[in-house]
Amino acid sequence: MKNALFATVVGGLLFTSCTVDDNPPIEIDNIDVPETYAFERNDNSSVNFEGQTTRLVMVGELLSSFNDFDNATEASLSNMYSNVNDPFSSEELNSSSKSIKSKVAASQLYFTGNTEESHALKNDFESFITGQVNEVFPNKNEVATPGVAGQIADGSSVRYVNGKGLEYNQAFAKGLIGALVADQILNNYLSVEVLDAGDNVEKNDAGLTEEGKSYTTMEHKWDEAYGYLYGHPTVPVANPNAALGDNADQLLLKYMGRVEADPDFAGIAEETFEAFKLGRAAIVAGKYNVRDQQVEIIRENISEIIGIRAVYYLQAGKRALEAKKMGTAFHSLSEGYGFIYSLRFTHNPATNAPYLSTSEIDAMLEILMDGDGFWDVTPEILDALSATIAAPFNYTVAQAAE
Amino acid sequence: MKNHKLFTLIFFISILISCNSDDSKKSTDKDSFDRGALLENWADNIIIPSFENFASYTTDLEEKTEAFVQEPSEANLASLRASYEEAYIQYQTVAMFGMGRAETINYRMFLNTYPVDEAAVKGKIESGSYNLELFTSYDEQGFPALDLLLNGLAEEDAGIVEFYTSHADASEYRNYLQAVSTRINGLTQEVLADWQNSFRDEFVSNTASSNTGSVDRFTNDYVMYYEKNLRSGKIGIPAGAFTGNPVPQNVEAKYSEGLSKDLYLKALETVQNFFNGKHFGKSETGPSYKQYLDHLNSVKNSADLSSLINGQFDVIKQQATNLNADFVEQIQTNNSVMLQAFDELQKNVVLMKVDMLQALSISVDYVDTDGD
Repeated sequence: MKNALFATVVGGLLFTSCTVDDNPPIEIDNIDVPETYAFERNDNSSVNFEGQTTRLVMVGELLSSFNDFDNATEASLSNMYSNVNDPFSSEELNSSSKSIKSKVAASQLYFTGNTEESHALKNDFESFITGQVNEVFPNKNEVATPGVAGQIADGSSVRYVNGKGLEYNQAFAKGLIGALVADQILNNYLSVEVLDAGDNVEKNDAGLTEEGKSYTTMEHKWDEAYGYLYGHPTVPVANPNAALGDNADQLLLKYMGRVEADPDFAGIAEETFEAFKLGRAAIVAGKYNVRDQQVEIIRENISEIIGIRAVYYLQAGKRALEAKKMGTAFHSLSEGYGFIYSLRFTHNPATNAPYLSTSEIDAMLEILMDGDGFWDVTPEILDALSATIAAPFNYTVAQAAE
Repeated sequence: MKNHKLFTLIFFISILISCNSDDSKKSTDKDSFDRGALLENWADNIIIPSFENFASYTTDLEEKTEAFVQEPSEANLASLRASYEEAYIQYQTVAMFGMGRAETINYRMFLNTYPVDEAAVKGKIESGSYNLELFTSYDEQGFPALDLLLNGLAEEDAGIVEFYTSHADASEYRNYLQAVSTRINGLTQEVLADWQNSFRDEFVSNTASSNTGSVDRFTNDYVMYYEKNLRSGKIGIPAGAFTGNPVPQNVEAKYSEGLSKDLYLKALETVQNFFNGKHFGKSETGPSYKQYLDHLNSVKNSADLSSLINGQFDVIKQQATNLNADFVEQIQTNNSVMLQAFDELQKNVVLMKVDMLQALSISVDYVDTDGD
């Protein structure tokens, strides 16, 4: 077969037989890219990401309960995390088969065959809940001091921290941006292993939809990636950037809005959206190499958002420390802690691995929590961590800082 | 994103690579492996002898149940329990053979759907009204129901025997127990007879290399059994591998202290023996996946695929030495060991479901769905 093939190539047929797969600029001309993320088959929308919307709403309700000292219990929060025992206010959420926890650190690419680490990471979020209820709740009327959980003033706001100055709700929320959202988008739904699983390619080529649905499996996987970023019910499905900075998403989209607002990174929101849109259109057109190029853009941009925000909060924490505003500093550092945690789930297209190694990330988290935690962290330490984070990315600490 | 200079440089190379990849789907009709001989070996030396063997155990199970029902003593309970345990272990040697009558009647579902619905079983016993043929009663019968009825009713044997002697519904308990054992044996005889009478020839003669051919269909079943029933059912689901929340009550044979690991090991051994075409209960081997892959000279990362798969089975067995004989206890004391087992099992899902099926040019007819 190989000899015959080589003869074909030498015979000069290569341009007719083979260029199609290797000449993206020509293909893009053949892809019908809509203005907005609106795709149809037989006059029905073929876009669906209900499961993602459900989880984003669950996260919202869980986070709003995190500081509900009067009503929340370890069990109620943990039940929400796993969606067991009807924990949510809405019957629709309770009866859905989805849960947050089952999709934490659960991507095909990073965690298949790596269940032990997956479980350890899933349980980190349980431990944030445990800490909140067992350390912070009993001390809600104490003033926090080194080694003592309690409340601390951040300007006119009150923050509730553990003995090391960490706000568990921030660690939980910002950690989920990586462990749930980025991991599912970058390392699960946009991975070739998921997009091209089984006979997805053949069926997509043939336009064979899932039973009773208007989408092919591959289209649906792509939409599920899209849904983790843009799927909050307060975000317009087809044109999400219209509501950037004006929606109730608390995870990745919120911080894409923040990064977009920094002139150093303006354009990242549009570039990411366009990549999602073109990639989806490329699936419809069966142009998989164009699709995969968009995956690289999305992987790079979303990873960068996490990295930028990690540095941003460390630097904001540093400025507040220097101004002796401890509460403000701890709030920023708690957010930074969550974003550093999320780096574990980034995806560098050049290496197909996280931008920073697990050991580097763990070491940084350990440094922040060492001794009395944020109480004895120094500006020098925060600068060093910022530099470590920025190093593998295409931005400087200064660009990310403000 | 695009570097056009680099693009130009690698242009011709990438053409060759991309064209090569088009070549990966070889036409199976042209591979000269004797599928007929493969199917004969499977049917005559493995599947039918396995069912013959298992049917002798289910016959014994029905007889021991009769003896116990007629005279519910602790001694007869012990003898019935031993028969149940051995039959449950031997069931693992046929569980993966899901084609033919087994498929038509949902044999596997009726014999081994767990966890048993304890409340439903007790409710039906007490009402005295039940129909085990209903498809809604999978989790009220089979081995998991026996597990409950022989081990799960009380802590001590004396207490269990009371359910069949002095309990208000004692006669219903006896009837139900008998009905469950009788049905296990009856369904098994039915599947065996089908293999012995007509299905064997139908199976062996269907040598087509399309998705309706016996090899393709059986292989899908084989890989699915390994993934869903063995990896997920016995290890992954009770260990909470998919949810992060362990569920020890989903362990197979949870009431039979220390049986779960034996069931797992027997299933594992069966899958590996089948891979190697090992005749049931004998040491010789015949045409098999191993031979097929070797015939096609299938390699992955320059190692024989068949050796990789066998090597991984050995790793899985080695890892199993770390597992407690009772998986309920293992999950409750140190679930990590269960997760390690799951991860090792998963490696052979990849080697078989992706690499082996690709090498054999068989497309997967079942898909994973995450329910979104």
